[in-house]
Amino acid sequence: MKEIIKITVALTISCLVAGSVMGGVFILTAKAKKQNEHLNMQQTMFGLLEPEPPQKSEFSTADLNLYNVYRYIIEDNDKTYLGYMVPVKQDTRTAYDLLIIDLKGKLTDQHKLDLLPEAAREEQDRGTAIANALGSQKRAKYADTMIIAKLNDKRVAYLLPGEFPGFKTFIHAMAALDADFNILGLEIMAHEEDPGLGGEIEKKYFKNQFKGKTFEKLRQLKVIKEPLPEEYRQYLERKISQEDMAGIGKKYQDADIHAITGATISSSCVTNGLKRMVKKFVYRIKILDRVISEKDIHSVI
Amino acid sequence: MIKMFDHKTHTSALLNHYLRIVTFFICLLLFCGCRTEHRFVKKAVFKDTHEIMITFAGPVDEAWAANMGNFSVYEKPDPDILSDIRSVVLSPDKMTLTLHTEEPISQDVSHKVVLKEIIADGVSQGTAYLTVNKLYIGYLFSILMGAMIIQNFVFSKYLGLCVFFGTSRKKSTAVGMGVTFTIVIVAASLMSWFFYQFVLKPFRLDYLQIVVFIGLVSLTVQGVDTILRKVNPALFSAFGVYLVLVIANCIVIAVPLILADNEYNVWESLMLALGAGLGFLIALFLMSSVRERLEFADIPESYRGLPIAFIVAGLFALAFMGFSGMSLF
Amino acid sequence: MPVTTKTNKQLFVNGLLNENPIFRLALSMCPAVGISTTVMNGILLGIAVLFVQVFSSCTISLIKNHIHPRIRIPTYTLTIATWVTVIDLVLAAYMPVAYKAMGIFVRLIVAFAIITMRLEVFACKNDFAPSFWDGMGMGFGFMFGMVVLGAIREILGMGTLLGYDILGFRPLLFFVLPAAGFFTVGFMMAIFNYAETLYSRRRKEEKVV
Repeated sequence: MKEIIKITVALTISCLVAGSVMGGVFILTAKAKKQNEHLNMQQTMFGLLEPEPPQKSEFSTADLNLYNVYRYIIEDNDKTYLGYMVPVKQDTRTAYDLLIIDLKGKLTDQHKLDLLPEAAREEQDRGTAIANALGSQKRAKYADTMIIAKLNDKRVAYLLPGEFPGFKTFIHAMAALDADFNILGLEIMAHEEDPGLGGEIEKKYFKNQFKGKTFEKLRQLKVIKEPLPEEYRQYLERKISQEDMAGIGKKYQDADIHAITGATISSSCVTNGLKRMVKKFVYRIKILDRVISEKDIHSVI
Repeated sequence: MIKMFDHKTHTSALLNHYLRIVTFFICLLLFCGCRTEHRFVKKAVFKDTHEIMITFAGPVDEAWAANMGNFSVYEKPDPDILSDIRSVVLSPDKMTLTLHTEEPISQDVSHKVVLKEIIADGVSQGTAYLTVNKLYIGYLFSILMGAMIIQNFVFSKYLGLCVFFGTSRKKSTAVGMGVTFTIVIVAASLMSWFFYQFVLKPFRLDYLQIVVFIGLVSLTVQGVDTILRKVNPALFSAFGVYLVLVIANCIVIAVPLILADNEYNVWESLMLALGAGLGFLIALFLMSSVRERLEFADIPESYRGLPIAFIVAGLFALAFMGFSGMSLF
Repeated sequence: MPVTTKTNKQLFVNGLLNENPIFRLALSMCPAVGISTTVMNGILLGIAVLFVQVFSSCTISLIKNHIHPRIRIPTYTLTIATWVTVIDLVLAAYMPVAYKAMGIFVRLIVAFAIITMRLEVFACKNDFAPSFWDGMGMGFGFMFGMVVLGAIREILGMGTLLGYDILGFRPLLFFVLPAAGFFTVGFMMAIFNYAETLYSRRRKEEKVV
């Protein structure tokens, strides 16, 4: 009997010590984790926006203002609406408003959320703010985020984080578009494709093929199973001199996407995913812009 | 000899019992899968890459079906972007309707179909908002097959190798280990799932998952050990030795971690755990069949034992790569 | 209580070569096959294992007199799981990219047989300093194994080392494929076996002479 008590006490003490060690480390790292995640994301975004050496930089990324617009799907019994969280100028500061737009593109409602951009980064905080504004009857579900990069008052780029099904699991990617919806770049953030095969989608020679494609071209972009020409590969990997860059770039301006050897499905998954992502975004941003200008909303985007 | 026979009947009775439970749940799921949200619509399913088929309870009006404006299809996350419908075909008995879309439908996303003011026999039946999903039972089955074969934990995810190489020398050992492992992993995963969903997540303690999961696994092993010893000593003498080894197998801790990462529900968790266990059994069986023959093969001295086993496993892994990316349903 | 007679240096070399966890003891094979595609992965996971091994060994050797013999194994598990959680949280916070590359394997260190084995065989019988050096040896031995495998697969599969292009072409794409992990480990084990037979034969001959 005495032994049991001894064992119980020993186990309890060790569990308590272990628990406090883990809890302490968790508290210490939680903040750093969030910060690093945000920093990482920002680095990817700036990396996509930074023009490459031969092209002259029109702006330095440090001067850019990035605004996130969050999209929600709002269900009210049988009716479905889209809710856009848009940063709006309020007196001296910028805070988020929720614009509720019906499926035909008409503004039906507008709520003040009183959420500052930093606070809005947390999905949980956004959720509670929206739930408070909508009341209990409507249910909101987070859909996606789009990021608008502005230089002074001019839009210079859009950044679209998104995910689409790949060969194995989901591929997380971020696309950058310029103000006319031409592709500035594509970055693969996370994937679980096979290393050496589908995993090559994160390599420069694949993802740079999308760079510079116009919106018109993107809509008809196909994946072809032809081997990548050597000069084009050199160009994509940025291994050639800057004088040759422009010429080869022009030559392959309207080329289709060359599939990765042994990973045609992964290649077309990325291509189709990007196509759908951009198409949906262009459709939505046009509606959102029209609503904002018609209703005279003081948005900063 | 008699004792051996005894084992077999016990094992088969046990398996029979499990089979009955699984069949019951499958029937239950099938029953749930066919329900739709509208009383006049019997079912709505994906048919082909471009088609959605809707079956009604009675014949519908031809004029209503001919009006394309009555139909709209969209993906659930994108309610504002309608899919273009190329044509609507009504079957001769007017009971089934097939919507052809312009672009291929990705069946992984659930779709919504809106049928405006259904008219049947000249009477309006109201508007139907239907959700079209991949058949849920098919989805569950694809998780099971995925964990078992396509993403086999041993040959495609490279987990549990220590125990895998340790117990694949003889077929009888391999099967014993595989069966014990399957039982333990199903029990441990379900327990971890409940614990994660109802204790760790609500209290934001998910950083404790490693400790909690390994504790639950040890607990399950201990529990199975005690129960088996009391209830069925014959079975225990056959499988008891493997119980200790289960805990050294990283699959048994990997599955709860994967479940926690992917937010599966209880059925999906059950299927993944079952698939992982059966997949391990399959891998052990295949490997032991080869290794029994390797005993008689003339192998270079330095390759004898583990090195050749690794190369055989490599060949299996290459073969299993052929399954990758395969999708069922 | 049997206390080791080896010096710290001998303990370290023992873990690195004579009892190399991957090639000699054939323990913790999962990461050796699964994520040895690059040298970087090997180094990172090696660091994580080194950390867990050293800290667990030290903890157990410090509290060895207070562990009740009946709850020995649960105590080991709890100790390992605690240190794994710590390194998992730290890596996730400060090295998110590397953490993602290693996937689930960091958290699976908790099920690595090598760590529990060293606690049971060595740390619970020896003092702090030898346990520390034994842990260092095992940790570096594991890292050494992972780096060798990673180097072979990276050079042959991608023609690079640590991400730097050194060959300029890809000799055998096969080696970077997931299944090739098994082959590489198999070949390496055979080479170690061969070296051992050669070594013992030579010693025999020397004795005869």
